[in-house]
Amino acid sequence: MMPPHLWYLAPELWVAGLAALILLVDLACKGKGSREIPLGAAIALLPVAPILLLQVNLGTRTLLGGMYRLDPLALFFKVIFVAAGILVLVMTREFSRTLERAHAEFTALILLALLGMLLAASSASFLMLFVALELITISFYVMTAYLKTDARSLEAGLKYLILGSIASGLFLYGIAWVYGAAGTTSFAGLRQALAGRTTLSPGLALGLLLIVSGITFKAACVPLHLWVPDVYEGAPTPVTAFLSVGSKSAGFVAALRVLHELFLPASNQWAGLIAWLAGLTILYGNLCAIPQKNIKRLMGYSSIGHAGYILIGVAAASSLGSAATSFYLAGYLVSNLTIFLVISAFWQAVGSDEMADYAGLSRRSPFLAAAMFVALLSLAGVPPMVGFFGKFLLLLSAIQEGFLWVAIVGAAAVVISLYYYLLLVATMYADPPKDPTPIPVSLPVRLALYACLAGILGIGIFQEPCVRLSLAAVRSFF
Amino acid sequence: MIPPVGPSHYLVLSGLLFAIGLAGAASRRNIIMILLSLELILSAANLAFVTFSKILGNLEGQIMVFFVMIVAAAEVAVGLAIAVVMVRRTGKSDADSFRNLKW
Repeated sequence: MMPPHLWYLAPELWVAGLAALILLVDLACKGKGSREIPLGAAIALLPVAPILLLQVNLGTRTLLGGMYRLDPLALFFKVIFVAAGILVLVMTREFSRTLERAHAEFTALILLALLGMLLAASSASFLMLFVALELITISFYVMTAYLKTDARSLEAGLKYLILGSIASGLFLYGIAWVYGAAGTTSFAGLRQALAGRTTLSPGLALGLLLIVSGITFKAACVPLHLWVPDVYEGAPTPVTAFLSVGSKSAGFVAALRVLHELFLPASNQWAGLIAWLAGLTILYGNLCAIPQKNIKRLMGYSSIGHAGYILIGVAAASSLGSAATSFYLAGYLVSNLTIFLVISAFWQAVGSDEMADYAGLSRRSPFLAAAMFVALLSLAGVPPMVGFFGKFLLLLSAIQEGFLWVAIVGAAAVVISLYYYLLLVATMYADPPKDPTPIPVSLPVRLALYACLAGILGIGIFQEPCVRLSLAAVRSFF
Repeated sequence: MIPPVGPSHYLVLSGLLFAIGLAGAASRRNIIMILLSLELILSAANLAFVTFSKILGNLEGQIMVFFVMIVAAAEVAVGLAIAVVMVRRTGKSDADSFRNLKW
């Protein structure tokens, strides 16, 4: 019989054990047959899904000396992270020919980043949150610079490392000031200390400002968004995919924990600032995406735009806003990973990320083109895809809380995003292919794409269960 | 007459260290100097943690510092590794020479 504490930690232990096992197995096999390791890890991650479902009945509990907490919000985000991890591992197998060496280490790094995300979702103190976010970021530094012979990958890794470390420094200095002003780093203690405080003392305000700027780096929002296009373009494709979904979700779960759980009483002090950041981020991401030629760079700017939308929900500081943030991230996961699965399958066959090379994709592989089309419509926010309902909830929460102008900016930016997404669709469907050979799609990628498409259409048409879950996830904050 | 050194002096010092670190990371062109500036930022936070811990009379801040030191070591290890690979490839340790990606 397992001690009850370990059962609460089961997903984290499973992922950490898997990462260690992979390194050991690779050592024993001396790197032979290592190309199938990512797929093996993806299959080995599948049992975490039923574990998470069983944990729903456990209720809220704080463990490990107040460092770790299992609650509905943590579970909701853990499902997102594990799903992202499995899909990214499937993508990594496609990418393994470009990777050339050390597949086991790469897989283990993905799992360690996933472990950091799971811990970030469950953290109940600033110490845990900081260490978990650093575990994610440092794993990503290594993965971004993984292609040692590719100058772009190294450069992306170095830029990410420098800007990421500055952001961690800001975040940490902010924690120091919050600690100094409130006297504790545990969320439970801080919640008590901050209850009923509608104005912030200068120390708390400075701390909160620095913490928020650290989080905007992880979530890829203005003003710390400069790294996004370069890193997205230079990093290996599976890493870009994991950054765009996993790392961003980790940033937003931290935002929800800090702003909605702790600093909610003082929301009139920060909501306006966040709303401004949301508006600027939406406009910046969508306007800069228009002239892009490289599809990963385009997805980088598009991911900045989406971060702006999600920030609207954070600014709203209501249970609807909080739930919409979680719901949108779930929808963003399936839509964005569909696109990255297509990008990695295309890269495997053609070896290019340039948008011009996607010409005639509908004739070379009708399935890939159709999947890309559906996912792009979902990202743009066309009903009945999941992206539409997510945007609808976010804009609704903004209007409810009196941020009408942000809602108008968001609605206008949908039109801009439709323009550049449909430009890519036109290239895929209308232009003649340069090279008409069909593009093969391997079975794991095909299955992963079916799962993502089922998510896009399934959650989009039957939104109610997912909305109910996301509302339940944030109930304890309000 | 010099006033006795109190906690507020340490906070001012930590603020200065933080500002020097930020300015260095933003303006230095040599990768090693940039990494050094990043360490300075983390040290500034550590000093603030220890000072607040002393003022408040609880140990949470000092526990935090241990973890931050480990994280800082991991960060700089990865940073130096990437810097070594880049210098081997290009023969330069100047951040301005890495311009393959549009900034």
